[in-house]
Amino acid sequence: MDQVERWALFVKKNPAKWKKIHTSFINSIFDKHKQFKERILETPGGKEKLAKLYNIKNREGYEWLR
Amino acid sequence: MERMIKDRNILDKFCTDFCNIVERHCKYIIVSGFLAIASGRTRGTEDIDMIIEKISLEKFKEMFTDLSTEGFVCMQSNSPEEIYDYLQDKTSVRFTRRDEELPEMEVKFSKDLLDEYQLKNRVKLKLTGLDVWFSNVNINIAFKEEYLKSPKDMEDSRHLRIVYADLIGEEEINKIKQLIKRFRL
Repeated sequence: MDQVERWALFVKKNPAKWKKIHTSFINSIFDKHKQFKERILETPGGKEKLAKLYNIKNREGYEWLR
Repeated sequence: MERMIKDRNILDKFCTDFCNIVERHCKYIIVSGFLAIASGRTRGTEDIDMIIEKISLEKFKEMFTDLSTEGFVCMQSNSPEEIYDYLQDKTSVRFTRRDEELPEMEVKFSKDLLDEYQLKNRVKLKLTGLDVWFSNVNINIAFKEEYLKSPKDMEDSRHLRIVYADLIGEEEINKIKQLIKRFRL
């Protein structure tokens, strides 16, 4: 049995336990992105790099791009 | 199932807030990856996919005003007319919270019989702990196995087949796979 199946079975058998672990995992991805954003905005042309990465055309919607 | 609000992650909160606004204006469904993630799959994503029923420009403007008032922006444009044109052209439009590039909600108009079927058969899934409408599990499995087919999608499908073993209907999955072959491939 591989990792995908092991985790899926854990979710199925532990309806009250899986969410806390899962929430930490998902939130950590966005925390890492926030740290990356701070670092890239400090580099030359950082705003433009980030706008390109996320294909942002509506610059008015994002304070850090104005 | 007991679930505390503090257990909601960033994607859950973003999705719920966005859906609560859209719900006031039209019928919608959340499809594909976020269904698997909200059902416990441990993988990252930057976007959540939403299909909405086709609505008039006037109705869209009202929804857009509500979204703007409540802190969401469209990444492509600030003009509801322009955004509506994208949707009419079967192009998805992406919304985020103001000043935050992630996560994003990728919104499309329903475009064919398959999307209509998904909207008609939408469900709320207790396991997710979220009060939002999802495309039903069998349809998602069919799309992932017959249409999307990437390793990530095949793993999503395996996850869904285990956690929703009681909801799986092979007959419906096969019926949808036939419709996918007819309308999308």
